[in-house]
Amino acid sequence: MKARFNGLSAVKIFIYAFFGIFLIIPLVSVFLISFTNEPVNIIGSFTDPAIFSTTIDKLKAINLENYRKIFSNAGYLVSLKNSLSLALVVMVLVILMCIPLAYGIARTNMPFKKTISALCTIPLIIPTFISAYAFIIMFGRAGWVTYFYELLGGEGMLIDPYSKTGIILVQVFFFFPYALWPLVAAFKISDVTLEEASLNLGAKNWFTFIFVTFPLAIPGIISSALLIFTVSFSDFGTPIVLAPKDLNLMVVEAYREISGFFNWGGAAILTVIMIIVAALFFWLQHILTKGKNYGSVSGKPKQQKMVTNKVVTRSLSVYSFIIVLVPLLAMLSVLLQSVATTWGKDLLPSGYTLKHYQTIFSTSLGNIQNSIVLAIGALVLSVVIATFVSYFVVRQNSAKMDFMTSIPLVVPGIAFGIALIQTFNVAPLQLTGTAILLIIAYTIRRLPYMVRSTMGAMRAIKQDIEEAAINLGATPLTAAITVIGPLLLPGIAAGSVLVFITVLKETSISILLAPPEWAPMSLAIFQNILRAEYYSAAAMSVILVALVLVLQGLANYIGKKQRL
Amino acid sequence: MGSVIIENMTKQFGDFTALHDINLEIQEGEFFALLGPSGCGKTTTMRCIAGFEHPTSGKIKIGEKEVEKIPANRRNCGMVFQSYALFPHMNVFDNVAYSLNIKQLNASNPVKQLGIYARLLSKRLGRTPKDIQEKVMKILKYVELEQHAMRLTSELSGGQQQRVALARALVMEPAVLLMDEPLSNLDQKLRHSMRNTIRTIQQDLGITTIFVTHDQEEAMSMADRVAVMDKGKIVQIGTPTELYSNPLTPFIADFVGTSNILDIEVVDRKESNGTTTLKGDSFLLQSANTIEKKQAKAIIRPEHIQVLPYDTEVNKEEVNVLEGIVLMSTYLGPTVRYDMRVGNQEIIVDTTYSSGTSIFEEGRKVKLSIEYGRVLLI
Repeated sequence: MKARFNGLSAVKIFIYAFFGIFLIIPLVSVFLISFTNEPVNIIGSFTDPAIFSTTIDKLKAINLENYRKIFSNAGYLVSLKNSLSLALVVMVLVILMCIPLAYGIARTNMPFKKTISALCTIPLIIPTFISAYAFIIMFGRAGWVTYFYELLGGEGMLIDPYSKTGIILVQVFFFFPYALWPLVAAFKISDVTLEEASLNLGAKNWFTFIFVTFPLAIPGIISSALLIFTVSFSDFGTPIVLAPKDLNLMVVEAYREISGFFNWGGAAILTVIMIIVAALFFWLQHILTKGKNYGSVSGKPKQQKMVTNKVVTRSLSVYSFIIVLVPLLAMLSVLLQSVATTWGKDLLPSGYTLKHYQTIFSTSLGNIQNSIVLAIGALVLSVVIATFVSYFVVRQNSAKMDFMTSIPLVVPGIAFGIALIQTFNVAPLQLTGTAILLIIAYTIRRLPYMVRSTMGAMRAIKQDIEEAAINLGATPLTAAITVIGPLLLPGIAAGSVLVFITVLKETSISILLAPPEWAPMSLAIFQNILRAEYYSAAAMSVILVALVLVLQGLANYIGKKQRL
Repeated sequence: MGSVIIENMTKQFGDFTALHDINLEIQEGEFFALLGPSGCGKTTTMRCIAGFEHPTSGKIKIGEKEVEKIPANRRNCGMVFQSYALFPHMNVFDNVAYSLNIKQLNASNPVKQLGIYARLLSKRLGRTPKDIQEKVMKILKYVELEQHAMRLTSELSGGQQQRVALARALVMEPAVLLMDEPLSNLDQKLRHSMRNTIRTIQQDLGITTIFVTHDQEEAMSMADRVAVMDKGKIVQIGTPTELYSNPLTPFIADFVGTSNILDIEVVDRKESNGTTTLKGDSFLLQSANTIEKKQAKAIIRPEHIQVLPYDTEVNKEEVNVLEGIVLMSTYLGPTVRYDMRVGNQEIIVDTTYSSGTSIFEEGRKVKLSIEYGRVLLI
């Protein structure tokens, strides 16, 4: 095909411009600010010569002074160390905890396997700051776990939720599903024929596990470990609720620099470091899954022999229940709190009421509306952009666009938020504090997931289907509306429900960018927690989780229908 | 309906030249096959005619009209895709009705267009007009699928899907029917009956048809004329009999049917009876054909060689008699194929087999007889 300028090329330019302005320029300017230590207006430099010359002056003055200061500013260095060690501990704990669980699901006939698998998805639907808050209800000074603990003769709190241990526990129990499913897949790599070959060569069962099954799963284990590290390192919801004043963490430190002290240079340096660390681990995981994927060696379906030994399966089952019990109890605690009149240091609330919900529906209905409006906005924008992006990537092999739309995967939410604030708080594009910037931020952050979903559907539509429509007289546009569109719809629908859910859950971007009149539910809950209005926070959390659950059900339903 | 003329067409993909200077003249109503191994450029040629690819240089005329500036959707070439490319979200009826609906859509004003779009997206939003219904049912009846009209295409067998694809292309009354390896996804038996179906329909409608295939049997049995392509060039154009009896190159001799291709040297030409004496690797041959070159190739079809017991006396005029040893015999039902050694050369011989005759066993010495006229020279 000769390259002709048409409507599609215009769309392509628009998408590049969109990502250029709202992703690349903010990241570049944060990078520059980390050197100049004062705001740099890149977009303004293009439109106004005066701004351009001051920008040049600032860039001329670039030096490493700012970075040198990090090493003198103990705070930054300590926060980096703390964040790294936190992520490291969470990573190790999650993997150790998940290996028996994953093995149980993948390779044994343990009782209640389906129930356990279903319960393992609970943590995924709950925003982390709600999980953190749930831990306060359980383990806090007035928590029911503390009540039990004292009943049994303990003194003070079993675990202080407002501590590094608290943060670690929340992250371990609410991030483990991210590692669980890749691990289950890893344990399914080893084929029954391989294991029988080992047995046939004279090896015992346990020997086969240690020297065949387990080594084959190692690439999967390392890859999930790196994923957990990145997730934990980038998490904002847990530390912002639980981190004590004396525990410096990168995400919290960056948030304080920008929202408390307006220290552009400091926030920029923290942002750059965060992105570098996250990108490094993401990249490590990427090369690992690419290079050593034993799973893709042969295309034939794998078969596994299931372990049926009752002692093994029963103890694995009990172990698994204990793990999934923690998030379950946490959610029940939030639910109970939301209908409690008062719930002091006691096993159960002293009375039950629906007045917290009443309060929410009378005073905070706006937040629910905001959440829904913002999520719909992000959804519409994502659907349009993702559909075209996957068209360009799949049909025109546009590797550049594929790469560009994957960048948000490695940028932690708080870092992206800081980059946006710094870029758009001055003319000519003064968007900070508007709903538009909020919607754009949500969209860019969630687009990689949406693109994956539509790209899958796009790949399933063969090129010749489109050509057939054109051959039968349809213009490319008519073909898109009558053939490609309807075939793409299930993929778009599944992806957009996912976008909707993640926007509802989004914490860091909402807290950083949402103006008061556009405060979504997540921000309202966060503020309620800060103001110690726990009962309304609980009620709002329950509404949020219920909304997510309903949508998740919808997504599953669409997914099932799609497969038929 | 129309003729298709291609003049000096070249197509390049970057540095790779997919088509070199293609010239074709396909008559109105002709069944024309493009035959060649994969990667020879036959599909690219067809895609250029359909408008999915644009020639780097050269002209394409359909019905005497230049089509360079006409986009694919207005060329009126019905195409049957290798994979059929049936719309999976539509039933048989809607697949076939698609082009008629689009025609109506293109002829309507914007307000009406919205209605047609709505109807195409959901059955509940509108009815297909009577005239379209009638046309679709007529063509479905023609391909014997009228009782399957409301089925999803995924519920049909391969042969039925093939016929839906054919009906979908025919219903738009195309100037040319293009078929890209349409039988390659069918099993052996179905392929044979579909060959007849397609040929009958083509004759019946008198529609100009271009058929792309890598299967020489398919091309030879269906087409009026065949163009054999290799490495982006047309090597020979002719009727099936011409190609078989007069291959222009060893490639065609080998690709169209099976051939023994022997390196030979011309040692003598007798003008009187027109025979040429050839020296092979370790034997002499006489041919009734002549050739100007000194170093040439002799083409002998396996079925033109007779196998005789070693002690047979051959007294016929103008017949080569060679000695051979059976290396392997393969029983194929109606025929027996022998791999023979003649001197240092290995050749293939096909003999008809009828019950009662014996098969020469491996290692047996035999005589081979070949008429002078059956030795082709290239």
